[in-house]
Formats: sequence, C-alpha cells, structure tokens
Amino acid sequence: MEEIIAIFIAAVLSWVNFVLIDIWMGLPEAPGVKGAGAIGKSIEKRGGDLGGGFFSGNIVCSPDASAGTLLASCAYYAFGSPEGGLIAALFVYFGNRICADPGYAGTSGALTTTILIWLTSFIGIAPQNFIVGMVLAALTIQGLYHPVTSKLIGKMARKMNRKVIQDN
Amino acid sequence: MITTANVLSYVIVVASALIVALILRLPLLPEKPMRQSWTISIIFPTIIIAIGLFAIINYFKVYNNIYSAIIIGIFSAIFSKYLLERAFPKPDLG
Repeated sequence: MEEIIAIFIAAVLSWVNFVLIDIWMGLPEAPGVKGAGAIGKSIEKRGGDLGGGFFSGNIVCSPDASAGTLLASCAYYAFGSPEGGLIAALFVYFGNRICADPGYAGTSGALTTTILIWLTSFIGIAPQNFIVGMVLAALTIQGLYHPVTSKLIGKMARKMNRKVIQDN
Repeated sequence: MITTANVLSYVIVVASALIVALILRLPLLPEKPMRQSWTISIIFPTIIIAIGLFAIINYFKVYNNIYSAIIIGIFSAIFSKYLLERAFPKPDLG
C-alpha cells in the first residue's frame, strides 16, 4: 500500500481508538491529579470545554490510551510481532500505577492497538505507519487549537454519558 | 513470534494465573464503577501481568514451554495478590 495512504488510515484508526477508549474510561469526568485539573481550567479559561480540558490534562499527566496506542505501536515495530504489544501493555500498566492512575485506559488502549495493527497488517499497514499515525492523531488533540478540540471531546463525552462530575 | 503452537502456551498461562488467583481469593472483576476502582482482580491486572511476562519470556526464548507458562501464571497471581500493592502503591487521594 502507498505509505501516505497507510499513514492516513493508521492515523484515523489511532484517533478513534484512543479517543473512544479514553472517553469511555472517564477521562473527561475528573482530573486524576492536580496538574490535569490545572490544564483543564486553563483550557476552559481560553474558551474551551472543561471536560475536554480534563481529557487533555489527564492525557498529559499519565499514560492513558494515547500513550498505550503509541507505545504498543513502537513495541510492535521493535519486536516485529504482536508480542511487543503485549509487553507494552504490561509496562504501560506499571507506568499507570506510578502516575496515580488505576491503568484501565492505558492497558486497554495498548491491547486494542495490538489487535488493530495485527488485523491491518493483512492489508499492508505496517506498525511504523501506526507510530506516525498516532503522533499525528495526538497532534490534532493536543497541538493545534485547544478550545475547538476540547469542545469536540466535551460533546463526544456528553454523548457517551461521561459528563464532568468533579469540578475541582 | 506468536505461532499456532505457542498460542496454546498463552492459553495455559492465562488458565494457570486464573486458577491460582481463584485459590488466593482475588475477585474476578473490580467493583463498579470499574474505571475508578483500584481493586486488584483476576481479569485486571493479573491476566495482563501474566500475558505480558510470558510474552517477554517467549520472545527472548528464555525458557518457553508449557512448564514456564504454568510457572509464570502462578508467579503473576502471587505477585498481584501480595507484591503489587507494595511495589506500586495506591496513591494517597486524600
């Protein structure tokens, strides 16, 4: 497959994978640590959504599904087999525990990414395409324009019944 | 590499961890809402630890056979029950 198309498909899959898992695991509901709360408030002050802000803050402060997706892609590439993804899931879990996070989002993100990479390998998408794709996917949420992306995340969170429950 | 032959080893490592964790009376699932629970259970994280550790051993071909799968399963259950909270303690949320 043409590499640019493969990267584009991988980016879309990574975006859907990490955003859905992170929202489902309740990242927009409350900040896990004080730093995540500060980021959420700052994004809200600049015209964004508080839930989307907590989502961004939580991603920065602990390895959630975004980090799980990226690390599983890297490990899959480095080990050259799905075992890399399983090993990444283990280390993402330990990383979560160190970062005051129970670890559900990161671990499930790493495992679903491993399955996605394995499945898409049959249509010619390589793990390295997922590494670039995930970096681009994270860029759209964290690196372009927080007010718009946080509103989008906030809207998705409300649809998935993950409203802000802790406003501190 | 994961091959058809060693998929069986992964099934054995999961079964071994599951049985020992049941004997050690770990709960099968965390209490609800699960996404906020810090309870160490069988599905999460005992099975994740067992599969991850076995993947390391299997990939580097340290000692990859059915016996190592059983031993990794037993170790993972004991680690989850007695050592995990000490190695990676729950943060003080107060």
